[in-house]
Order: sequence, then C-alpha cells, then structure tokens
Amino acid sequence: MKSAAVRVRFSPQSKPFTDVVGLELGAKYAQGVPAVRLQKKDGKTELVAAGFLDLPGELPQHSTQTGEAPVWHLPRPFQAQYAALAITSPLAFLRHASGHGDDAPENRQFAYRTVSRVIAPELPPLSAGIPEFQAEWAVRLLPEGHQPTACSLQVSPAAAINTFLTTPLFDSLSGTAVVLFVFSGHTSLAAFHESRLVLYREHPIGYGHLREAVSSQMRIDPALADSILEDTLIDPTPMIEPVLRALFRQVEISHDYLTRRRNCQTQNFFVCGLPAGAKYWTTIFSRMLNLTLVPFQPFEGIELAARKSSLPADFAANTPFLMTALGAARAVLEDV
Amino acid sequence: MRPPLHLDLLKEDERRSSSPIRLRVMMPLTALFLTTCVLVWWGLLFLRVHGQNQLVEELQQAVTSFTPSHTAVLELRAQEQEYHAMVHQLTLYRNSRNLFGQALSNLAEHVTENIQFTEMRIPPPSPPTVDPTRPSSGPTNTFELVALRIAGRTGGERPSEAVNTLLAALRTPAFTNLFRTAVIPKGAFRQDIARNPANHETLLFEITCDCVPRRFQ
Repeated sequence: MKSAAVRVRFSPQSKPFTDVVGLELGAKYAQGVPAVRLQKKDGKTELVAAGFLDLPGELPQHSTQTGEAPVWHLPRPFQAQYAALAITSPLAFLRHASGHGDDAPENRQFAYRTVSRVIAPELPPLSAGIPEFQAEWAVRLLPEGHQPTACSLQVSPAAAINTFLTTPLFDSLSGTAVVLFVFSGHTSLAAFHESRLVLYREHPIGYGHLREAVSSQMRIDPALADSILEDTLIDPTPMIEPVLRALFRQVEISHDYLTRRRNCQTQNFFVCGLPAGAKYWTTIFSRMLNLTLVPFQPFEGIELAARKSSLPADFAANTPFLMTALGAARAVLEDV
Repeated sequence: MRPPLHLDLLKEDERRSSSPIRLRVMMPLTALFLTTCVLVWWGLLFLRVHGQNQLVEELQQAVTSFTPSHTAVLELRAQEQEYHAMVHQLTLYRNSRNLFGQALSNLAEHVTENIQFTEMRIPPPSPPTVDPTRPSSGPTNTFELVALRIAGRTGGERPSEAVNTLLAALRTPAFTNLFRTAVIPKGAFRQDIARNPANHETLLFEITCDCVPRRFQ
C-alpha cells in the first residue's frame, strides 16, 4: 500500500494529457512510421502534425532479435510531451477472452503482456496482448528526459477502434453500427449497440490481399495496385470480389450473430482504413449484405491547430495509414 | 463523447517524464538539500546560541570581577557628593555672611559718653522646618532674618537725646548697608529701677536693628 502511494505521488503525469503524439510501430509502411500529434485545448482536440517519420529500427518479431533498441528523436513538430504507441504485429492480439485458458501466457511461445477489459456484463472481456519483448523494445525507443516519452502502449486494432469511438458521428448514431477497420493483413470488425462495443472479430483479409490479387492478376507491381483500384477505366471487381467474398462470409456470420444471438439489427455499416478501392468495397458489400457500406473518415471532426499545423501535401491521401496512430493518441487524450 | 477503448499495456514503472528535470531524481536531491540546509541552519543556530551563552558567562564573570571596584567607585562618588554638598553649604554660608565689623567700628563713633552698652546680641534664628525623611546638614531655608539687639543704659543730662542721636545714627548710610531698620521697641526705653529703685536718672534702652536677611544662594 505504501509503495502504491509513493508510486502515485511520484507519477510523472498527475493531470489529464493535453499534448500527445500517436506512433504506430511495426506497420512497415514504405513512407515511414505513421505519426499524428494532437493537442487538446478548451475541450477541443486539434491536429498539430501528421505524417510519416523516417525513424530507425524495426519491431522485433522474435525475442532473440531485441538487442539494443534504437533511440528515437522525433522532428520538432512531433515533439509532444507524451507519446501513445500502437503496436502492429502478427504476434499481438485483441479478442474476446475465450475463458478456456488458451489466452494464458504460459500457453504461448513468448511471455506476453496482456490487459483485459469487461466491455459488457454478458460478454467475455476484451483482451489485448503483445509479446513482452516487443513491449520492452517499444518503450525503450523514447528515453526519459526527451520529448516525447511513452504514456500508453496499445495494440493497433484497439487504437483504430478509438478513431470511431471519439468521432462526433459515433455520438449521433443510435441502434447498432458495424465498423470494418481494414489493415494491410487483416480486417477488424467492431459492432456497437447503443454506443457500446458488443462484438469484436478479426478476419485475416486486408487491403494487402487485394493489392496482391490485383498485382498478380494484372502482373503489375503491388505498389501500382492502389492506382488500379482508384482508376475509373479499369473495373477490378472481378479480381477483388473473390478475395472480398471470404471476408464477406465472415462479416455475414458476425452480422447473423448480432441479429440472432444479440438481437441487434444493424442499422449503420462503416468501413475505415482503405487506401484505395473504397467504392468497390461499398458496391460489393452493399450488394451482398443489403446494407450501405459508408466509408468513415478517421480525422473527421478534428480541427487543425491554428499556427502550428504541420501537414504534408498528400495528407488526405494518407489518412487511412494514419488511422492507428490517430486512434492511439485519441485514446490517451479522451481517457479522462 | 464516449470514453475511448484505452487498453493500455504500459507498466507503471515504464512511465517516464519527458522533462529533463527528473522528478524521482530531483525530489530526493531536493529533500537532501533541504535537510542539509536545515541541519546547517540548526548548526549555525546552535553555534550562535553557544557563542551567546559564552558571551553571557564572560560578561557575568566580568561583572563579578568589577563589582568590588564598582562598589568602591559608588562609595567614593557618594562620599564626593557628600563633600561637595558640604563645600556647597560652606559656600552658601560664606556668601550669606553679614559683615558686622565695619558697622561696629562706625558705631563707636556715635556712642556718646553717657551711653553704656550692656548687651549686643543677635538672637538665634527660628529653627527651620526639617523633613525627617531627608535630613540635611545645611540650611533648609533660602534666607534667614537676622536682627541685632543693642541693650544699654544712659544717664546724665538729656539721656533721651543721646539715645535718639544713636538711633538716628544707626539709620544713616553708614549703617543702612547692614541695618534696614533701627527701632526702639515699645517699652524698651525705661528707668533702671531693678538695681536701685531710688535711682531715677539712669535709663535703660534697647534698640532692635533688623539686618539684611541672609540669603543662602
């Protein structure tokens, strides 16, 4: 009890965070490390800087690879007081705890750092975890005494969900809403009923699979696949529909679960994180599910800071890649 | 706005301050510095108190050593004041003397043959009111009335004229610097019947001369 009191007293942060930069580690984007700096002033969240940072080091995928972690010094516009780190790793997980002991750390190959949250009394708690070596490596990136230092460590899917939870659109919704957060290698499905998260699922199909499908069938470089998906002269539907059909089956199962088991009839259907081809997703899913899939903009409702904004010219095109970094920062800023 | 889904995996001991001034380092250092300052302050306070106590002891010893000589000085000063008062009294007495010598020398020239002085007396002055709480060796009044009583007898021819002449002489400028008045009290000019009842030619007289008062200033 005494040590807890001392810990609280000497905690470096005693008041709500007002200046946070969100960083997504392990995304392996060619542009760099996604970073979004937000500030909170007079109750309003402002975007100060956003972009991709050329920072050394890659998230280790095995405990033997950790070695000496590099030290990150962020560019001046991104030097917030604190940093919220989101880990994108195939070894990280976010799921409902099954309760059968599968999630116990001793059953895994690595030591895991986990946290659980009961989101609804009738549902298993939502559990997040990352390997301990990845967590330790990530924390060492930002040393003490320099801005920023880590104030939060999250898994990417949980961070991405916050982009939707903290938007004004979410407050205006009633009934049940289903949101697809599309990542490179997987897609997260989060269902909300009366503003509460009632279901979370991950499906191993992401926009990376669509890129691969397009590039393999058209025999072009994967980097050009996005331009094909945005091009109006070529209809890539025959190429991507088989890939999306597998995802659709999973989404349909979740939709049936919500309707039959949870008695939640989906009224709103959103998709977020798509760098290209959103219109095809909308068309295909609307046809299959008889629900209109609406693209959701993660930066919606966030104002630009008056003088200090530092946004790249291609910011609008890159917002899907900044979704996780934004969500990590918002989770800290809005968690009061 | 709904609360976010903040599943934070950061450990408490991994939270770091971005401030170059590290609280967990500065707090013990500050506490140590403050403790040192308090100890130094206490030490200085102790030294000052100790020094003051030593000074008090030295002063007490000095006072003790000076006490006999101080007492002697006080006694000497009291004695000096006493002597000074005595000298002052003597000065007052000297300044207030009535010089009768010249007057008595002049008086011989105005005493006729048929006048014989039987007594010349200065009555003692009335005793002053003395404050028993403040005894004084000197005069307590600032001035003192002095009178000269001259008693004598006369006879022969015109004895009254001789006495009146003497009286008039005492009122001349040769005496007025000493005698303010010269009178024969009522009943003081009479026949001398006490020694020889048959002798009606011898007359007794008394002259009272009020002198200039003695002023002890």
